[in-house]
Amino acid sequence: MKNEPGELKPSLDRRAFVRSAAWGSGVVGLGALAGYALKRTGSGTQTEKPKLGAEFSYDVSRFQTSDPALKRYDELLRYRVGIESARCIAVAEDGVLYVGGDEGIQVVDGEGCELAVIRLARPVQSLAVMGSDRLLVGQKGRILVLGLDGRELESWDDFPEDMLPTSIDVSELAVHVADAANRVVRKLNEAGEGIGVIDGRSGVVEGVGFKVPSPYFCVKTGADGLLRVTNPGAHRVEAYLPDGRLELAWGRASFAIEGFCGCCNPVDFDIFPDGSYVTCEKGLPRVKLYDAHGVFTGVVAGPEDFPEYLAVVNAGAHKAAGAGIQAVIDPAGRILILDAIAQKLRVMVRKESGNE
Amino acid sequence: MSEETKKLSRRDLLCGGARGAGLLGLGAAAGFLGGRESHDDEVWQIDPGKCIQCGLCTTECVLSVSAVKVVHSHGMCGYCQLCTGYFDPNPVSLDEGAENQLCPTGAIEREFVEDPYYEYRILEDLCVGCGKCVKGCNMFGNGSLYLQVKHDLCINCNVCAIATACPSQAFRKVPKDDPYLLRGKGAIG
Repeated sequence: MKNEPGELKPSLDRRAFVRSAAWGSGVVGLGALAGYALKRTGSGTQTEKPKLGAEFSYDVSRFQTSDPALKRYDELLRYRVGIESARCIAVAEDGVLYVGGDEGIQVVDGEGCELAVIRLARPVQSLAVMGSDRLLVGQKGRILVLGLDGRELESWDDFPEDMLPTSIDVSELAVHVADAANRVVRKLNEAGEGIGVIDGRSGVVEGVGFKVPSPYFCVKTGADGLLRVTNPGAHRVEAYLPDGRLELAWGRASFAIEGFCGCCNPVDFDIFPDGSYVTCEKGLPRVKLYDAHGVFTGVVAGPEDFPEYLAVVNAGAHKAAGAGIQAVIDPAGRILILDAIAQKLRVMVRKESGNE
Repeated sequence: MSEETKKLSRRDLLCGGARGAGLLGLGAAAGFLGGRESHDDEVWQIDPGKCIQCGLCTTECVLSVSAVKVVHSHGMCGYCQLCTGYFDPNPVSLDEGAENQLCPTGAIEREFVEDPYYEYRILEDLCVGCGKCVKGCNMFGNGSLYLQVKHDLCINCNVCAIATACPSQAFRKVPKDDPYLLRGKGAIG
């Protein structure tokens, strides 16, 4: 715009005003964008959050591997079980394996091939084979007696409604049921009638009573006729006389490989014909060997052998709470391990003596 | 139209602008209040079944000390002598010595009940909601310790800073008149 002589020159024309306004807006916009980006990336010192120190992390990684020199078994076979929420196993004299879970029982042969599935309306908590033709199925508040073909023969119901039968043992002397909810072992005859209750408080040695914080409570009768019972809160395995008195106990609390870790272990065990034991722990999934006197002798599977289990517990996922490991010895002397988190079954065989 | 009426005076411009700004402000205030009202009957809470105890509850809360605290379900607790929520994984001895305790702020106390049982209590003033004890309890015990937003402390931000940062989407809105997700009551766990 050209000014006539003598005319006052305006300080700002419209074009210049619009141009400078656009520049200003652009600069402000860019600044806002930069500030926003800085905040989002967290690189601005004003927005940086403090981090928790190492003292706030729960680290048990140093216990999550075991010494290979202690391993006494090799894995022969591993397969995924075919029943929902599998939590218990039992093996028959012919080597057939029964896997119990939420929807019933899967029957598999020694090589892991499915033979049958028995569908049940209520979750299975425990299993035991009785003689050569019956299967005892522990369910909340009752014991179901099935034929090996899955036919229901009878139901033993004379128990408290809240009974949680986490383990059943059948011996020549009696049927024993570990009731985790009431923290007692129920002694039954072959007809399922109650003939005694063991509370773990009386005995030749001092009993502390059964401490069962999680639903893991296991019973097995040894070749010597003594009933072995886990007392997970006391970190020991206890042996009871037929009259229900505590005879002896072994085990101690420790994260070291020789002991039982956490608040409540072992969660399960089985007994070899020579009286030695295989034990299972949760939290740190460990399957270990002890001699007949309770002296640690080796490892069947260490935490490193359960990667899916460790992934869940290390992530802090709630399903870690209460997830167990269970083991049984089959007639061939193999150890069958059920990992309740991975829902997998492992068949372990003893290493050749030269490889131990 | 005359030249006089076409022109917009500075006063008219200012008045119109002020009126427009006022209307805009009123609209924004109404929208904000309306939006708030729809959320006033809900509060933030942690689903213990989804919580992974990452520690962000301690650092992300806008309060100087987090409104997230550990709660303890005494009905579930095993009253264990060796509590993995209370003791270091490898304690020197099973007593109350600071070197044996897991909690970095000493926010759990225990009291002998009867042999061999102990009761564990949370000292809420000391708890920072880091969840270290929860991890120990989940890993080895039965999960009776878990984290919850305490609503006597929480200021119920419309957008909760912890919920935004939570990597496991454990935060969700729950009814204000039923503000806790206790184990066995609405919680996945």
